[in-house]
Amino acid sequence: MGDREPPSISEDEFARLCDFFYRRTGMIFTEAKRYYIERRVFERMLATDSATFAQYFARLRMDLDSEIEEIINAFTVNETYFYREDHQFHCLTTDLLRLRAAQKAPGEAIRIWSVPCSTGEEPYSIAMWLLENWPEVDKHDIEILGSDIDTRALNAAREGLYGARALSRLTPDLIDRYFEKAGEETWQAAQELRESVAFSPVNLIVNAETRAQGVFDVIFCRNVLIYFNDESRRVAAENLFECLKPGGFICLGHTESMSRISPLFEVRRYADAIVYQRPSGKPEEAPRG
Amino acid sequence: MPLIRRDPSGASAPKLEGDAVTQLSDANPDVRWKAARALGKQPDAVPALAAALHTETLPQVREAIFTSLVLIRTDASARAAAEFVRSEDAALRSGALDALAAMPDVVERILSSLLQDADSDVRILSCDLARTVPGDVATRLLGALLQAEAEPNVCGAAVEVLAEVGTADAIGPLTACKARFPGEAFLGFAIDDAIERVGAERLDMNG
Repeated sequence: MGDREPPSISEDEFARLCDFFYRRTGMIFTEAKRYYIERRVFERMLATDSATFAQYFARLRMDLDSEIEEIINAFTVNETYFYREDHQFHCLTTDLLRLRAAQKAPGEAIRIWSVPCSTGEEPYSIAMWLLENWPEVDKHDIEILGSDIDTRALNAAREGLYGARALSRLTPDLIDRYFEKAGEETWQAAQELRESVAFSPVNLIVNAETRAQGVFDVIFCRNVLIYFNDESRRVAAENLFECLKPGGFICLGHTESMSRISPLFEVRRYADAIVYQRPSGKPEEAPRG
Repeated sequence: MPLIRRDPSGASAPKLEGDAVTQLSDANPDVRWKAARALGKQPDAVPALAAALHTETLPQVREAIFTSLVLIRTDASARAAAEFVRSEDAALRSGALDALAAMPDVVERILSSLLQDADSDVRILSCDLARTVPGDVATRLLGALLQAEAEPNVCGAAVEVLAEVGTADAIGPLTACKARFPGEAFLGFAIDDAIERVGAERLDMNG
């Protein structure tokens, strides 16, 4: 990080930066994340040799050398791991599945889609979370599908080999029950866990590919739409809309806002997370208090 | 384990059959939605898509129509969307502006005429579209507007955008605009703020 002191960003500059990000990417930052934001901005100022925040902000606004993409990368944690952003999993088992299960005909499966799923941490996390935390898990057939555009990532997901960092948020007991030691610092998802998740290649902006996955009750689509341009975001949002059952839910990353991307979905605020819902045409059921 | 693995069948929902343009006015909203989405690669469908926007009331179908205009991405499709910037329907106005913002390269070509529209509300909303084009282009177009615009509210909208995306070349037009409206205190304050911002960035960029 060098010897430079982090920059002083005024209230006005901070507001402009947040406004810029929201308009360009749909990412939402609040005052509560100020320290985090300032650190990332400082990193980018050093990387771009910007002497002041104003100089850096001018570079950002002009998108010199793809600076917008660079700072998005700095803001989003590119590595994934088990039980990441687990507040949404709390929401899944506290509210979302309860509401979706109530709409099911006898024998009709609940379908959950993790897209993009990268190397499988998220769909396996969903499977583990349901088994550990949803009392009704034995009453329903539940299908979990992980999809990604990167077929190498999908092959790695099917193989299910992970290092210690990917498992760092799991308790030793969970690791013991859902993984098998496969090397010095490597664990493999247990066969039963691997067999509980299906994987498929998909490009979110190709309608024929998304439609081929069927329709879902809940979609996890985290930290990918921010990388799309406005046109691709609109297409992806419409494809996701088609892939949701009426009343189904979509969970985005914690800095993302569907309201900025598309008016197709309704915002739903639950105790553990803000999610987006395909309108069902029925009155909204209140969150469990 | 209650979790069951079932690979996607690959059998997607049936594709639209028949003439999508005709189906834009179908009684079934699902057919209209699919028709709107199917026309996103057909530049000759722009008049039909624009006509459908005049009658379509379902928000999701409207959204799909706007997206198809974005995907067609021609001056004609942008102008078709831009017509709804003057709509009395706030949702249509908003949909049009979002669609235009999604095709900044095309907007760059039509923005000048939008900023000279006879309707001052259209000019105000069009100022906001300048956020989507490169800063030097926004500065040139909004700077030209500030030289001649008679409505202080339109100037105010332009100043707000210049404060965010403008370059130091905006200082001259901003200064001239302030001089043209000596009685508009709010505008003078906004202009001073904008000059300070773009001026500070000029000093910084020059080291």
